[in-house]
Amino acid sequence: MIRLHSLLPALAAVLCVAAAPPAAAGDRYYHLGYGVIQVIDGDTDTIVADIPIKGATREADVTPDRKFMYVTTNRHLVHKVDLARNRVVSTADVSNDGWDRVMFGFVLAQDGRTGYGGFMSRRTQNGEAVVGKPVVAQFELDTGKIVRSVEVPWGVAHLVGVRDGKEILAFGQDLYKIDTTGADMRIVATIPMFDRGVNMLPFWDYAFDNGGIASMPYYTPTYMGVMLVDQRTGAIDDIVLKGEPAMAYSVVLAPDRKQAYAVMDDLTVIDLVNKTYGASVPLGEGTSYGVNVSSDGKKIYVGGGGSTLTVFDARTLKPIKVLQMTSDGMDVRKIRFQK
Amino acid sequence: MKKKLIEALNEKAKAIERLADGEQRSAEAQAELRMPQGCTTIFDTGWETNPRPTYPVGNCQASARDFHGCVGDCWWPAQMPDGLTNHRDFDEQCPNVARDWRKLKYD
Repeated sequence: MIRLHSLLPALAAVLCVAAAPPAAAGDRYYHLGYGVIQVIDGDTDTIVADIPIKGATREADVTPDRKFMYVTTNRHLVHKVDLARNRVVSTADVSNDGWDRVMFGFVLAQDGRTGYGGFMSRRTQNGEAVVGKPVVAQFELDTGKIVRSVEVPWGVAHLVGVRDGKEILAFGQDLYKIDTTGADMRIVATIPMFDRGVNMLPFWDYAFDNGGIASMPYYTPTYMGVMLVDQRTGAIDDIVLKGEPAMAYSVVLAPDRKQAYAVMDDLTVIDLVNKTYGASVPLGEGTSYGVNVSSDGKKIYVGGGGSTLTVFDARTLKPIKVLQMTSDGMDVRKIRFQK
Repeated sequence: MKKKLIEALNEKAKAIERLADGEQRSAEAQAELRMPQGCTTIFDTGWETNPRPTYPVGNCQASARDFHGCVGDCWWPAQMPDGLTNHRDFDEQCPNVARDWRKLKYD
């Protein structure tokens, strides 16, 4: 016989989920670390939560209702993070059918059940190594099971979903447009980058942070550019910058989209209107991978790489505060929660 | 005859050459392995080897700040643990390189 009190913990858990409050209004920054994601409140610039997570964080995408963030780790795990409760609620492994996969590039599909990843795969067969063909594949978020895929050239490192997920842009040596609307995924266009000498490390695009514009720096032997992808229309804006290149891992857009901020060893302002550079300051804490900006445009957050997160005044580029994080990091992502 | 591109200069290198004397081809790559790709989509290495003439010159500063980024994706595998194959849980023993490097146990 089941006693009522034995059901109470489960009942409480169900009620807790049903009554889970939305994340507090305002900017929240997510320091994607190693074994932990740390949440920073954008009003007080203090760490307000730790989210334990298995592995080395890499990519992230957010559900349209902003209730969940999916974070990839160790290039094969996909974690679902409840943003109200600040904890991982489920984890899927894309290496689940005898193939050992590594995923470079991850975006959510529009159906709420699946995502897309750029995969390389390997396994052993009769003692021999077998290397699978590189693919962009759609997989179930709950199980990690591959649903369908399309072969792509080697080197795909990043994905951007556009036009409500009808198309996936896969960034490799060239840029491949993948149509997802039919029964089979298929490459419908290839935009040359290699022959143009474009050299890109497209791991940081800030698509949801920028409000639907992916922003990525690139280099040629003679200039630096910023590639912007409008997720709503799929339009690609290739901004060639004049002047001596500023070395940058990542670029985030200011709220007015007239400026951008770039980081690597320096924090550099980019004038997107005049297509040139503004002020630049060395990063006192050292090399950083990630940069973000507050929704009012007044503060810049620089972190990833080492275990610090520095808050800068966007007007003066002077550091306001340095947060010591628990772990080193890969990125700093921002989500704006509405009241 | 194929031109010899490298030459053994010290005793250890010469000993390695002696070990390989008479060795025949025993295996052949079946495909062009590119896993993972290089540090960027085209060039290997990436632009950490930046060309700036002033401080900070060259690679990431401090190098520890770039350690996990490289480990996790298996870049510079000769110098760092290979986080994709042989040291997949590296982040668990050393989540903060500047603080935890004494805990490292990899070979």
